[in-house]
Amino acid sequence: MTQSVDPSVYLSDLQKNQKGIIRQCSATGMLKQKLLSMGFIPGAEIIVLRNAPLRDPIEIGIHDCLVSIRRSEAALLKVEMSC
Amino acid sequence: MLKVALAGQPNCGKSTIFNMLSGVNQHVANYPGVTVDKKSATLKFQGEHIEIVDLPGTYSFSTYSLEEMVAKTFLLDEGTDVIVNVVDASSLRRNLYLTFQLLELGKPMVMLLNMMDIAERRELEIDIDKLSKMLNIPIIETVGTKRGGKKKEILEAISQAGKVTIAEPFKIDYMEFENFIAKIEEMISYESTISKRWLAIKALEADKVILEKVNISKDTIKDITSNIHAKYDLDVDQTFARVRYDSADVVYHKCVKEKNQDLDTLTAKVDRIILNKWLAFPVLGLIIYLIYQLSIVWGYELTNYTWPLLATLKNWAITVLPPPELNNVPMITDFGIWMINSAIALLNYVPIFFILFALIAILEDVGYMPRMAFILDRVFRKFGLHGQSTLPLVLGGAFVGGCAVPGIMATKGIADDRARLATILTVPYMNCLAKVPFYTLLLGAFFKEDMGLMMFFISTVTLFIALIVARLTTSTVLQNRETAPFIMELPTYHLPTFSGVILRATQRVWLYIKKVMTIVLAVAVVLFVLLQFPGVSAEKNIEFSQQMDKALVQFDKKVQKSKYYEHIDEASEVSALINLYDSYKSQRMLAGSKAAVASLDAAFLAKSPELFPLVRPQDKDAKKVGKAARKLSKANKKLQIAIKNEKITNSFLGMFGRALEPLTQYAGFDWRINVAFLSSFAARESAVATLGSIYEKGKSHLSPEESLAQDGAYTPVHAASMLLFMILTPPCIATMVVVKLQSNSYRWMLFAIFFPTSLGVILSLSFFSMALQFNWSGIELMRNFYLSAATLTLILSLFKTKQSGWQVGKSQ
Repeated sequence: MTQSVDPSVYLSDLQKNQKGIIRQCSATGMLKQKLLSMGFIPGAEIIVLRNAPLRDPIEIGIHDCLVSIRRSEAALLKVEMSC
Repeated sequence: MLKVALAGQPNCGKSTIFNMLSGVNQHVANYPGVTVDKKSATLKFQGEHIEIVDLPGTYSFSTYSLEEMVAKTFLLDEGTDVIVNVVDASSLRRNLYLTFQLLELGKPMVMLLNMMDIAERRELEIDIDKLSKMLNIPIIETVGTKRGGKKKEILEAISQAGKVTIAEPFKIDYMEFENFIAKIEEMISYESTISKRWLAIKALEADKVILEKVNISKDTIKDITSNIHAKYDLDVDQTFARVRYDSADVVYHKCVKEKNQDLDTLTAKVDRIILNKWLAFPVLGLIIYLIYQLSIVWGYELTNYTWPLLATLKNWAITVLPPPELNNVPMITDFGIWMINSAIALLNYVPIFFILFALIAILEDVGYMPRMAFILDRVFRKFGLHGQSTLPLVLGGAFVGGCAVPGIMATKGIADDRARLATILTVPYMNCLAKVPFYTLLLGAFFKEDMGLMMFFISTVTLFIALIVARLTTSTVLQNRETAPFIMELPTYHLPTFSGVILRATQRVWLYIKKVMTIVLAVAVVLFVLLQFPGVSAEKNIEFSQQMDKALVQFDKKVQKSKYYEHIDEASEVSALINLYDSYKSQRMLAGSKAAVASLDAAFLAKSPELFPLVRPQDKDAKKVGKAARKLSKANKKLQIAIKNEKITNSFLGMFGRALEPLTQYAGFDWRINVAFLSSFAARESAVATLGSIYEKGKSHLSPEESLAQDGAYTPVHAASMLLFMILTPPCIATMVVVKLQSNSYRWMLFAIFFPTSLGVILSLSFFSMALQFNWSGIELMRNFYLSAATLTLILSLFKTKQSGWQVGKSQ
């Protein structure tokens, strides 16, 4: 597996069908708790499945589950792209 | 009694399991102080009473969401004996995250591995024995949608688990944290049935509820966490979550074999169509159209069949109440009929509500609701609403007519508190079904040619108004309300169960009847008093009885020579004849078939063998009397309407209406219109009824539309102003009750009454004045109002809303 380590890639930057691994989360408070309990923890694998018809929010796959998240929230998750 | 708490993550099929265990024997209430549903059921198994409480579905036990708080507080305070953890077998890994936290509580537990069918379809092979051994709890496989099945086995396991005492609770090794957890454990002196270690872990997570319970200050924990941060460079919350997920991963890999790595599930295939860039909106439109067609249109047709039942109820009440003596109607009879009318006006909507609630339940079970929010979130977010606001607005009547009651009840699922309240406050602006007769009355009277265009204005302008109001409230009075992140699971599609859907629809209809009816009836009493007293003046009364006497004399003259005269030569007999005539006529209307008419005739004949032949005359003499009776009945009705009018004019409500006239005249409303609007608070239908009765004036050959148009007091501009007010008019009592229920506050209820009323008065005042100033026609008034609303909506949509809390930029 080839990995391109780009320090400034966020979940919101990923295109459809791109995969990644969560590296860091800069959310706080309720959003952080919510993200953690849904499994958005460093090391978790994610895949962007699609954009909503109006481009926002986005649907992603994590831990065999489908989760929708707004772009503004996805912008707080730093990811490492994997192809 | 064995107390059992049913816990699990959202969408794990928990409520299906709960329904299976409890049957119809459930009790729905709220958790103390919040609007979260608390479902419980008590049942008997092998001589033992078991109480099962269905906790709200939660992913975890953090501090922030209302559901998690409620679930946690319940487990802490209610002395639960056994926890039943429902787990979605098809996403076992994530479900284990909650399971671990439940196990750490140190209570006996039973795991129900639900949705095994989906797991099998995905070719997941789960080694249940191994899982049961690793977690040290009994596990039962279930398929939530299959009926009955395992009820006995589950209850058996629960009752067995109730006998177990846990010596050593389940433990996850939190590595670096263990020292700190032990330290906090020593600080805790709080005695409970809950494991101290669990309390210590939650305290370390800085959980507000727990810290208060165990009496440790926030600062103490802050010191510890910053100590950890300095020493190990670890974030406490993230580390806890990571360790739990890692442990879940270990368990998962030891117990589950994924035979098929292909993720192309049925759900993925369906989503490719339903969430497709181009197809999403047409599909959504189709679904909304179907809901509208099935519930509002067909449901309305269904009421044609249920209406006779309600009418029978009314007729029965009339026979029980003391009969009127011509124009002298006893107060108790008047009151009884008024109350029955108020009740059946609301009961009439039950078929529509039932269909609506059933359809909502289906959409919820299938898993379409979060997808609807996913599709539309971007539009609604601009106005401070939420993707999940779509359905409440549609039910409220985003097309031509809905009902705010189910609309507001459907706001329950909206996670974002601010958007939820904003939706509750905007749904009443949608066009309610009961407003439609009022619109058609005015449109028929004043805008016959342009009915279509006016109806288009009315039905679409409401959506603009709702969006504007949502935007205004969320950026002012609701500004400081908590908003929630839009992180939402899109669950796997499921087939709903018939019994589950029917059960939920029945529960909601019952809630409506119970809560709404009682209050509406109470208000009906008040309204009755306001409309009846102080009543007709003495001189007027004399005038009315003189008129009645005159009619009686005329009747007497006509029938004197008939051979039936001996039966009708006294006033009480005449009165009985008129009552018989009226009651036969109203019941005859309901009798459809020839056989029904025959049996009705027979029943009447048996009851009053002397008078009935005059009502349904066979010979010439009887026909003559019958004709006179018909005339007298008509005269009597006319007089009663005149009395009723006089009563309303003199009533407290009439006085109030007149007192408002100095203000409302600038909106084009005279006191009669004011009375109609005031009485519409009880139920919207009464606006038309009151207006109708005020204008009826006995001109029975004219339809209400015609008599309104010919009255001469109003022009189309007046009518347009009335329509404008009606569009904005405050919610009816039933809606207010539901606003109170769902917002859990009388203040919001009052706001929901006064804000739209003021808005309605101000807007109809200004538009009516402008219309007079610039010589607008009625249609121009409406068009200009429409264009202003549309423009304002567009302008507001261009401004960005503040998403308080998480628009903190990218750090580092």
